[in-house]
Amino acid sequence: MNVLEMAGVTRDHGTGAALVRALRGVDLTVAEGEFVAVMGPSGSGKSTLLRLAGGLDRPTEGTVRVAGTDLAALDGRRLAAVRRRDAGYVFQDLNLIATLTAAENVMLPLELDGVRTRRARAEALAVLERVGLADVAGRFPDDLSGGQRQRVAIARALVGERRLVLADEPTGALDSVTGDDVLRLLRARCADGAACLMVTHDARHAAWADRVIFLYDGRIDASAAAPLPEAAR
Amino acid sequence: MSIRHGLLALLTRGPRYGYQLRAEFERSTGSTWPLNIGQVYTTLSRLERDALVVPDGADGEGRHVYRITDAGAANVAAWFAAPVARGARPRDELAIKVALAVTTPGVDATAVLRAQRAATVRTLRDLTRLKADAPPPVAPGEHAELLVLESLIFQSEAEVRWLDHCEASIARVDTPSKESDR
Repeated sequence: MNVLEMAGVTRDHGTGAALVRALRGVDLTVAEGEFVAVMGPSGSGKSTLLRLAGGLDRPTEGTVRVAGTDLAALDGRRLAAVRRRDAGYVFQDLNLIATLTAAENVMLPLELDGVRTRRARAEALAVLERVGLADVAGRFPDDLSGGQRQRVAIARALVGERRLVLADEPTGALDSVTGDDVLRLLRARCADGAACLMVTHDARHAAWADRVIFLYDGRIDASAAAPLPEAAR
Repeated sequence: MSIRHGLLALLTRGPRYGYQLRAEFERSTGSTWPLNIGQVYTTLSRLERDALVVPDGADGEGRHVYRITDAGAANVAAWFAAPVARGARPRDELAIKVALAVTTPGVDATAVLRAQRAATVRTLRDLTRLKADAPPPVAPGEHAELLVLESLIFQSEAEVRWLDHCEASIARVDTPSKESDR
């Protein structure tokens, strides 16, 4: 089943001489259990693509479906519900709340969605255990290492059985070994049935995905899907 | 590097016979450098000629065992201490191809770069899959194979970064007033 379906998606910013076409006719699907990476130079439209996929922005043309629901058909309140229940976000700057513990940060999207505290806490602890952080659930973000904080952000993106994880340079400024742990974790979540769309400029990170897509000037490079042109060097 | 240094390094762990050296060499290089047994014995006889190893009799099954000499130990210590000189690679096919692509009329250099990037990322993905499936190292020494694999991963990454750089440079020359980032 496709968790994310984008069809003919175009996103323009500005008009007339100031018109910038951030995305032009993008078709992209991410299936359950699939880990897709999007690479492209600065200004290629990577971040716009991710924002549209998560309902943080609306396309100028085309449709975006998350778990089968056309986001254009939703009013603001229902779109907000999709953002809380179906999609999870992992950004480079983690946006963890410093005055909440790891567990409370992970509980937050559930509580915003009206889940009772007791159940939200149980679910948060379960997902923290899955990312290997059960023993630090009660600590504040400042008392965690960089790699642990990034795993808390991933736990928050996964809690409540959300099916779509959207990641923007999720390894941030982590060293390469800790960064590998984060990517290993995202890959494991996909193996468990989540769909993950990650944008990155780092080929070594993109290489953890099942599929790597190249975006140039707002368009997906179709030729990149061609078979290997020569034998390995 | 030569096979000499590899075999000498293995012999610092203790006396070994030929097939044992071959197996350990391949294991510690993550099977990226397969040896045939003929190469191993040729190398051992040269090391013996240079007094870096000496025959140490035969084991219970009649296999010829070699032991490292003091001179051999000094040689391998010097090898570990000296940084590796990569040397200029003037005949790197990819660099030459890109250089010719930007200077040959009618060739779309950007298309050459993008096709190469897609291929290199696929290679990188295959290598990363091997790494993802490898059991995590727990004991010291189990890292060896993974580290060799990762050297290939980082080399591929460097190639992609260089391709990115080439493409950005070409774009800047073609369109001096590049539009701002989105």
